[in-house]
Amino acid sequence: MTSLLSIRHVEKHFGRVRAVNGVSLDIRENEFFALLGSSGSGKTTLLRMLAGFETLSGGQILLNGRDISNVPPNHRPVNLMFQSYALFPHMTVAQNIAYGLEMEKLPRAEIRARVDEILGTIQLSALAARKPEQLSGGQRQRVALARALVKRPQLLLLDEPLGALDKKLRSEMQLELKRIQHQFGITFIIVTHDQEEALVMADRIAILQHGELVQCAPPREVYEHPATRFAAEFIGVMNVFPVQRDGMRLTAADGSLIHASIPEGLGAEIVAAVRPERLRLDAETCDNRLSGRIIATAYHGLDLQVHVATPAMAKPMVCRVTADAAEARNFRAGDLLTLGWNSADTRLFAA
Amino acid sequence: MQDRRSLVLVAPAFAWLTAFMVVPCLLILALAFFRRGLYGGIDYEFTFENFAMVLDPLYARIFLKSAWIAGLAALIAAVVGYAAAYAIASMPRHRQPALLFFAILPFWSNYLVRTYAWIVLLNREGLIVGIARALGFSGEMPQMLYTEGAVVLGLVYNYLPFVILAAYAPLSRLNPEISEASRDLGAGRWTTFRRVVLPITLPGVATGFVFVFVLSIGNFVTPALLGGGQFQMIGNLVYDQFLSANDWPFGSALSMVLIAVMLVLLTAQTFANERASTGRQSAEPVDG
Amino acid sequence: MADRLNMQVMLLILGLVFAFLYLPISVLVGLSFNAGGMPTAWTGFSLKWYGALFANRDILRAAGNTLIVGLVSAGIATILGTLLAIGIEIRRRKGRLLETLIFAPMVIPDIVLAIALLSFFSLLDVRLGLHTVILAHVVFNLAFVCAVVRARLKSFDWSIVEASADLGASMLTTLRRVVLPALAPAIIAGGLLAFTLSVDEFIIAFFTAGPERASITLPMQIYAMIRFGVTPEINVLATLVIGFSLVTLALSQRLNRGGLPGQ
Repeated sequence: MTSLLSIRHVEKHFGRVRAVNGVSLDIRENEFFALLGSSGSGKTTLLRMLAGFETLSGGQILLNGRDISNVPPNHRPVNLMFQSYALFPHMTVAQNIAYGLEMEKLPRAEIRARVDEILGTIQLSALAARKPEQLSGGQRQRVALARALVKRPQLLLLDEPLGALDKKLRSEMQLELKRIQHQFGITFIIVTHDQEEALVMADRIAILQHGELVQCAPPREVYEHPATRFAAEFIGVMNVFPVQRDGMRLTAADGSLIHASIPEGLGAEIVAAVRPERLRLDAETCDNRLSGRIIATAYHGLDLQVHVATPAMAKPMVCRVTADAAEARNFRAGDLLTLGWNSADTRLFAA
Repeated sequence: MQDRRSLVLVAPAFAWLTAFMVVPCLLILALAFFRRGLYGGIDYEFTFENFAMVLDPLYARIFLKSAWIAGLAALIAAVVGYAAAYAIASMPRHRQPALLFFAILPFWSNYLVRTYAWIVLLNREGLIVGIARALGFSGEMPQMLYTEGAVVLGLVYNYLPFVILAAYAPLSRLNPEISEASRDLGAGRWTTFRRVVLPITLPGVATGFVFVFVLSIGNFVTPALLGGGQFQMIGNLVYDQFLSANDWPFGSALSMVLIAVMLVLLTAQTFANERASTGRQSAEPVDG
Repeated sequence: MADRLNMQVMLLILGLVFAFLYLPISVLVGLSFNAGGMPTAWTGFSLKWYGALFANRDILRAAGNTLIVGLVSAGIATILGTLLAIGIEIRRRKGRLLETLIFAPMVIPDIVLAIALLSFFSLLDVRLGLHTVILAHVVFNLAFVCAVVRARLKSFDWSIVEASADLGASMLTTLRRVVLPALAPAIIAGGLLAFTLSVDEFIIAFFTAGPERASITLPMQIYAMIRFGVTPEINVLATLVIGFSLVTLALSQRLNRGGLPGQ
């Protein structure tokens, strides 16, 4: 596959702070790519460098093989959908969308046709003459998207595009964004701090921490095979507990044997990690077992979360039990049981 | 109940403002419709004469002159003030409050003293002439003090901080992502300024312009000190009616015209701002 | 790059504007220490003009009058303005009339208010003097104090008033023990501001002080002196007046971190 965008050893320093520290990524044509990280991870700085609003302290950004590191934002075939949407308050919806086309000095008739077309696509034709402040949050978000898309950029950057929406609208828009990306055939790079959003939408996810790239992989791999303890804990829920290493022998804090394949290069300070849905309750057959006591249960509709205190971990372990299984066996706080999971589901990381 | 109790707190100030502002203003409103007595008194006889007199070519010319000078001063103050406010707003955030404070500081020092400073600079034995001489310029220096230019300069100098303050407010509130969005969509710096930043932040400057205009057109100190009585402005005319010509009804009529100009401008500007910010006038769907 | 150029242009603009704002005043201050007293030649540092000024009885009397007017009018305005601000803020229905009434003194041209008061006082046959200046100055001082206190009240936590009432305090006790102490910095700042404004005010004082020399205020004295031309004494007086305004303003700013009300 050809790579549309190459980010090579990119650095950004603000004084002594290294906001982005030697990040390299290749993003393919037509990809839906997510930059995931908490605040201060450098994801927004990286995005702003792609848009041209931050100069690089080091490295290169290539678009279709051409170095665009020093191209000003108004000359890049890249558009950004801003976190605040940044709609022009003194212009109508139609004027906002037409603005970028006017900058290309297109004939008026063409501008008009393209504005009308995209208004239809985002289902806002009826609101073309409104000013931004007369729109709802969701409508503003669509206008911001349309304004960037109408220029048919090679690359569309989206800075926390769903951050300002409420939860229900957000999950609708996640699917909508995917549909639009597919329809326009444009590469999307989205910045988000919401791991669920990244998992749902992206073809690939890059996890950033302290300005450095931790892992770049498709959602499933990121979830099942996190590269570091940070990635493991950042994505989804993970039970993490310390283990003692003695050669190839691993023991939990209470002395229970832990079976897992030990990756190369792992030192003596190790933690073991297992996802809640991989844990079994009352499972004597699993090769890893811990005894525990239920301290609380939390009903989540589809499933039941059971919090189990074990000697292996200071915090209770979280287990996800399907609603059916939960109904078959009535879990109650105070019950004693044996937690189990398979060695294949155990991940080991440097502490 | 709460509202009734609050009346006790409001009442003293309310009474004071009524007695020493509302009533006196109503009084001169009434005076404007009476006739001037033969020896400077007032004949209590209803008339429109005083307002008709405002339209007399002699006074109409003074009016136009005042409007011209006030307009020029307001325009220059608006342009310079906007540029200064823009410059302050582009400095690092933490520096801005101090810069703004020092830009407004002169506004709080004595008006007469600030005007006097320009007499020192501009007069025929003043500092500017002195410097020119010291630099070896020996020709005839143009008259600087007691000119229209000096009056405009004095007004701009005195009211500039006010425009800076008025223009800074919308500039500092402007979301920086708005300008970035314009750049991102392909606009250069100048286009971004002209089509995005300026239209959004213009209302602040408009407020500044209106205030400078109103304050200038009724000013009598600056024309008297820097214009040296070379020409009259409405303020001087009002001054004369009360302190030398003793035609209080005409002076009152002039004041009322001044108030009317101010009200019209302020209302127009408020209306324009509301229209600009809401845009509800164009809410109906656009044609295809 | 372009950004750096942009920044340099902005710095240039700021430099020019600040030079324009401060050079004329600085020249005055500098000249007040000039032994020769004339603007065209520097003949050495001297305080002799300060000495001359303090020997001028007319100026001293005018300064005394100004202090009286400033203190009394600012005092009255502080009390009335504070009560007004609290009264307005606790009202549920915000009267448009009241808002206009307290906004008016800030926008009515000084000369209009001045001649209106002159007409008013002479119609009632009130003898003009310092007392009429005080009555007049309270009008605009009141509006300024009210604006400063209201700005503070906007961020005031009204639940402490309810807490005080809940703990058994009467309305008056609550005002005295809870509201006023919380507002004290803003009230003092507003009062200082009013004092500065009153001390500097010329036009209204000029019309309402009457013809007697005994009721001349400092700005009136300055105006009369300026009309005679440039003299070393005015430079000194101007320097002192500027210094005085700056000190009171700095004090007011210090007390009330809410910021400078921009008229």
